[in-house]
Amino acid sequence: MKLITSYRGRGTEVGDEPMVLSFPSAPAGTPREGCRRRIVKASGLRLALQLAIAVVVFATAAGGAATKALAFSSHELAAKIAYCQDCHGPAGQGYRGFYPMPRLAGQQVEYFEDQLRAFVEGRRLNSIMSPVARSLSPAMMTALATDFRAFNPRPLGGDRRELAAMGEKIFQDGVPEQNVPACAACHGPEATGIKQIPRLSGQLYLYMVKTLTNFRKDRKEHLSDVMYPVVESLNKRQIEAVAAYVSSLR
Amino acid sequence: MLVIVFGGAGRTSAAETAAVSKPELEAKIKYCEICHGHSAEGFEGYYPIPRLAGQTPDFIKYSLQAFAERTRTNNIMFHVARVLSPDMMAALGAHFHDLNAKPLGAGPTDLVAAGKEIFETGVEPRGGGRIKSCSSCHGDNAEGNQDFPRLAGQLDDYIVDKLTNWSKEFGQHPSKMDVSRIMQPIAEALTEAQIKAVAAYLSSLQ
Repeated sequence: MKLITSYRGRGTEVGDEPMVLSFPSAPAGTPREGCRRRIVKASGLRLALQLAIAVVVFATAAGGAATKALAFSSHELAAKIAYCQDCHGPAGQGYRGFYPMPRLAGQQVEYFEDQLRAFVEGRRLNSIMSPVARSLSPAMMTALATDFRAFNPRPLGGDRRELAAMGEKIFQDGVPEQNVPACAACHGPEATGIKQIPRLSGQLYLYMVKTLTNFRKDRKEHLSDVMYPVVESLNKRQIEAVAAYVSSLR
Repeated sequence: MLVIVFGGAGRTSAAETAAVSKPELEAKIKYCEICHGHSAEGFEGYYPIPRLAGQTPDFIKYSLQAFAERTRTNNIMFHVARVLSPDMMAALGAHFHDLNAKPLGAGPTDLVAAGKEIFETGVEPRGGGRIKSCSSCHGDNAEGNQDFPRLAGQLDDYIVDKLTNWSKEFGQHPSKMDVSRIMQPIAEALTEAQIKAVAAYLSSLQ
């Protein structure tokens, strides 16, 4: 509970900072309220998860060499996972907070680790996530990435279904007349991603819209610049359509 | 990236004389580079996306036509190619031929020697007969010639995928004579181990 308390303090502070594009259609409520609801809902599952992780970590510890690589206790890992879940949902499914919090469940391990490093190195600009990531050791980043990869909750869904068919066409075929390539070429036909290319299936609609709208502003990574011409060739409605499509995918 | 686009545009004087405007061509090149890499060195997307740098202009044009006519099956490239004019296809071919990026990365190095042997001398397939050396059509250094593609520096997993699935992707229009038919019996006769060896060798070439 110690970590959760400290998070809530921090959440209130950063909530006052101007950050990213805000969405009038985002559900009302402060981050503080959102997190409190989440804590109550998550507690049962979290306990089960902590036990499961403890078993895994102890089993690994018997291996000897692996113990050194871990460099943190099972308690620390469980606490850190619980801390992520406060905002990203008890199963990493994402959460419609004041900002849309992205789904982490099923994310590619390499992408997950690289994004955490990007927050630390300033390749990705986010005043909430940078301090979060700075507190993590490389081994902890790997452990968290592996952990959230294993979750498979249903997508939060529920957004702009009427646009999903248009989004599917853009995702699978591209818009060659506008020089927009098919998203599927890199993200895969089911939007599962691969290695350093992110999974998009089941991602929050609002998070997708925000990310595609602010891409160049928020992401300075050399791997992300491949997306600049893509997002700049899409119009607002096309962005919403792609977001509606991927957010509906399981 | 800008340097590459402008640098490339400077060299495509042939393209400018054709019925393609410079801004259109530059926008299209940038679009190709999103998936094929900033210097067209290829890219590991969800699928291995092939190197185009140094490819023969004829093969690029032929491939784009094959995608547009669906004699070569690839949904993503069908949509890319269907909007390109023949002049734009030729201009893209000229542009990518002029690039000379370093290979993206080699395949398993322990297979290179076996692959070189197959490439230079051919193999005896299980069913008898003899597959000629790859170099007899693709060139001693796999640099390609006209309709025969350059293979040097191509992505290892891309070559493996093409040779393994040749008949499903190429020559899909039975009544149309297609240069890809030449490769069909060869690809089908090669064993998995031979395919991997050749791919490793080709991906190691500059």
